[in-house]
Amino acid sequence: MLTKEIQHVKEESEKDFSSVDNPKELEELRIKYLGRNGILVQLFEELKKVPKEDKPAVGKNLNELRNLLTEKYNLLKTDLEKTDDTSEEKIDLTLPGTIRTIGSKHIIIQTLDEIKSIFKGMGFSVFEGPELESDYNNFEALNFPPNHPARDMQDTFFVSEKFLLRTHTSPVQIRVMERFKPPVRAIMPGVCYRNEAINPRSYCVFHQVEGLYIDTDVTFAELKGTLVSFAKQFYMDDLKYRFRPSFFPFTEPSAEMDITCFICKGKGCRICKNTGWIEILGCGMVDPNVFNYVGYDSEKYTGYAFGMGIERTALLKYGIDDIRKFYENDLRFLKQF
Amino acid sequence: MKASLNWTKEYVNLEGIPVQEIIDKLTMSGLEVEDFVNQQEIYKDFVVGLVTSKEKHPNADKLSLCKVNTGSEELIVVCGAANVASGQKIVFAPVGTIIPLSGMKLGRAKIRGVESFGMICSEAELGLGNDASGIMVIDKKLKEGTPFSKALGFDDVILEIAITPNRPDALSHIGIARDLAAIFNRELKYPELKIDEAKDEAKNYASIEILDTKNCPRYSSRIIRNVTVKESPEWLKSKLTKIGLRPINNIVDVTNFVMNELGQPLHAFNLDQLSGRKIIVKSTKEKMKFTTLDSKDRELPSGTLMICDGEKEVAIAGVMGGENSEVTSETKNILLESAHFNPSHIRKVSKALGLNSDASYRFERTVDPNNTDYAVNRASMLIAEVSGGEILKGLIDVYPEKIKEKEVQLRFARVKKVLGYEIPKESINKILNKLGLKTILQSQDEIRLQVPTYRPDLEREVDLIEEVARIYGYDQIPAVPKITITLEKKYDESVFTDEIREIATGLGLYEILNNPLIDERSASFDGRPIKILNPQSVDMAYLRTSLIPGGLIVAANNINKGEKNLSFFEIGNIFNKISENEINSFEDFIEERRLLFILTGKERKKKWNSTEKVVDFFLLKGLVDSFITKFSLDNVLNDSYYHSGNRNFAYYFTKNLKEKVIGLGGKVSKDVLKQYDIDQDVYCFELYLEELKEIQQRKKFYSLPIKFPKVVRDFAFILDKYITYEELINFIKAEGSNLLNNVKLFDLFENESIGNDKKSMAFSLEYQAKDRTLTEDEVEKEFLHLIKLIEKKFNAKLRGI
Ligand SMILES: [Zn+2]
Repeated sequence: MLTKEIQHVKEESEKDFSSVDNPKELEELRIKYLGRNGILVQLFEELKKVPKEDKPAVGKNLNELRNLLTEKYNLLKTDLEKTDDTSEEKIDLTLPGTIRTIGSKHIIIQTLDEIKSIFKGMGFSVFEGPELESDYNNFEALNFPPNHPARDMQDTFFVSEKFLLRTHTSPVQIRVMERFKPPVRAIMPGVCYRNEAINPRSYCVFHQVEGLYIDTDVTFAELKGTLVSFAKQFYMDDLKYRFRPSFFPFTEPSAEMDITCFICKGKGCRICKNTGWIEILGCGMVDPNVFNYVGYDSEKYTGYAFGMGIERTALLKYGIDDIRKFYENDLRFLKQF
Repeated sequence: MKASLNWTKEYVNLEGIPVQEIIDKLTMSGLEVEDFVNQQEIYKDFVVGLVTSKEKHPNADKLSLCKVNTGSEELIVVCGAANVASGQKIVFAPVGTIIPLSGMKLGRAKIRGVESFGMICSEAELGLGNDASGIMVIDKKLKEGTPFSKALGFDDVILEIAITPNRPDALSHIGIARDLAAIFNRELKYPELKIDEAKDEAKNYASIEILDTKNCPRYSSRIIRNVTVKESPEWLKSKLTKIGLRPINNIVDVTNFVMNELGQPLHAFNLDQLSGRKIIVKSTKEKMKFTTLDSKDRELPSGTLMICDGEKEVAIAGVMGGENSEVTSETKNILLESAHFNPSHIRKVSKALGLNSDASYRFERTVDPNNTDYAVNRASMLIAEVSGGEILKGLIDVYPEKIKEKEVQLRFARVKKVLGYEIPKESINKILNKLGLKTILQSQDEIRLQVPTYRPDLEREVDLIEEVARIYGYDQIPAVPKITITLEKKYDESVFTDEIREIATGLGLYEILNNPLIDERSASFDGRPIKILNPQSVDMAYLRTSLIPGGLIVAANNINKGEKNLSFFEIGNIFNKISENEINSFEDFIEERRLLFILTGKERKKKWNSTEKVVDFFLLKGLVDSFITKFSLDNVLNDSYYHSGNRNFAYYFTKNLKEKVIGLGGKVSKDVLKQYDIDQDVYCFELYLEELKEIQQRKKFYSLPIKFPKVVRDFAFILDKYITYEELINFIKAEGSNLLNNVKLFDLFENESIGNDKKSMAFSLEYQAKDRTLTEDEVEKEFLHLIKLIEKKFNAKLRGI
């Protein structure tokens, strides 16, 4: 008897709820079915009269009906409230949002940051040093004898006979080695100066990152491994590379690292001077003479050092055609990065 | 250095090795081939042609129509050269040839109505020289149709090799051949000496004396009599031309040839011009003038090593000969110099004179002292051959103290320790022997080697390790797949500036980077600038003393390009002299890092939902304060001091730390803006980062927010116009009870209705207690008390609460 009634209410309510289209009607239905004197309350009253053995089954049915109705009501309520809002106020949501300006770091600094984070991940510390340096730190302690043609490799701005604008970040090597005993593992970023003709490929100011690792068993093979890992992280994972013998007074053996030209993929182009290779850094095993200058035992310790120019690196990585653009600070340039 | 591969092959047999492999291996062993020209490749289409007839072009006076026999056909060619003539053998480029000078492909072309089927080439078009005045006329005996490269020996590969300063030995063909012999494991052959000496002894015709043996340890010489100075034979001219040298005469050409063959610079003197037939090598005692053979007068500093005869100077030793003893077409008898000079002395002289010659370039990098005799013999032999002269008997060789070969020990274990890779002992030995080092002792663990004097760079064990590694191949040494991370204390000295950059960009500023080298006026902005001794230009003759001038230049450049609304920051070093002396120590100057904010134009343009906002002083001040707050410096740096104008600013303020200024900026003065051609207001502020770094509080501790409610009260006063906000706020903070937690100015106006010398300021006050909820009565009492105090102190009139 009551089961039938429940079924009937269920069907009727479905009809009722499906035709509702405003909050007022919904409220009426709530009162009709779920209200304090609503149909459900009445049905629960009826349930008391049902024979004991049928009670669980009928009760279950009734509970299900209550859940169904409550759910329907809630669903419709949220739905109708939404529609209600838009009908009150029409906004053109396509109007432009209010932009908050976020500036940007200079692309050279961003490139430096990326390099720094790769090396920090490999256990390197970061040190800085002055730009106005002594001839001793910049040249002599790095095994550039006075009056030696090796000095021609780096055209220098002098402020006096003994002081100059550093031509590389390598003098920070000397400072770090004078400050700490091995193991020393650090990179040293900073501004450097060279008295070179200004043209699209060279500027008199540039940034460099120097790297240094000294311990009892540092080898050329480890230098290669570390720099290859760096290049893969920084440029691309599947790059080809080569280490080419070179000369720096403060390393022996010395090398330059080339990677496949990523403009022409090694076929040869203007950027790589038709060699298919692009030089990305200079490196080598720290020359024992440098150890002698800073008081390290050159028999006990070995170490490697490397250095790369950031402007050059950024030119390659971002396809910038003129190194001077880094120092023009044109807002339209800065905003691109 | 330019080298010819064919020439190199005279000293090492490279048969069976492709050109590309030779080039790659040279580069990969340290003699970097920067560029090369494969003549066989670029001349492959050019042939010898015979001009069979020449007629005038019907439509152009300066052009002619030539028929050219190319060996296989006869073609019509339009030619513009005046020197073309029937019967000439010429270099012909058929249609489709790529012309070396232009790099362009030659097409079939109608020239003034006549079709031309090729080109008769000039030296310049072939890339062989600068002569573009006419076509290149070649030997009549050459047969038409012969490939040009074969006919004239242009079948070479010309290498442009970058020689590092440590490798003077490689500034010669024999040196390059020696490396190739080691790389490809081939034999190195020196040219054979065959000298026919005359009966007369050289020492009876000339004498040599070295007075400065420190700067000239050896002087070897030969005398050649009855030479005929003339044009060199083809083989000699061709060798020199290929490596970019201009043939001069047979004597000079031989000296240049031998220098490029063996690396020993030589000089030929006209013996009859040498007074007393004497050579005396000595240093000048005082400054003097000297005319070098390029006819230039040079001012020589005292102490310059000179070659002199019995009465005068005849050459600047190792740098350049003098005009007064030059070999000319009349010269009959010559004295050939082959000497060794002290490298650093030659470098000093060459630098002082600004005179760089092929000879000085080699001498300053060290020339083998023990090869001067061989070189002078080789040159004498060739001079006799090409000039018909006779070599007098005996070498005049002054070498008071022989420079000995060094001995260096190499431990096999050390090779592995440095490289991380074991190279077989036999390979080590072989490589070093091929490079000319003699094994003089060998044991299980080490070898002892004698290093030839042409390798001054090999002094220590590690130098030999590099030699072994570069010839064995760096690529043979594997890159390790893993590294150990050592656990010493780690530092990052760049964290401080990194953090600043994060905040500054978050505040909407773009970072700029400027050249610290600027002109004197800009450099004098804020201190005593340091001058560069050797600047590139006056624009970059000083180091900056402030970041502001650089920032203004950037602002001006952007404004000129139409970008008028700018917010920039820069982090950079500035430099200041602190002593009157020349800079001789780090105490004589200061280098410190600064941070610059620079703002101009509109901070915000007008938008559909907001008005525009033009940059003003308070925006700059707010920016500085936001930065300081975010940088956790607010409880150290709440002191600001305000100033009226000076030279640089219309008005400005400073941030101070215990009397010390650690930041300064404001509205840039009109005068300064005019200097930089800026006609809009610019605001900037410079913070001194060294000081900030020291006081920045690294550690922040959490403090519990107050959980009891605030009670807010507002009041507005009319007061005298000249009472500053700062005076008032400081008074409120000092006197406004300890329950007063926060005070903010929310309105300010001046108006005739309140009086011309008055202003109204409205404040909002927040009262709050840490330990309880404040009652209205309690707050009311404090609030009214404060109003009374203000009225009394400032003679202010309460306008409303
Ligand atoms: Zn390329």
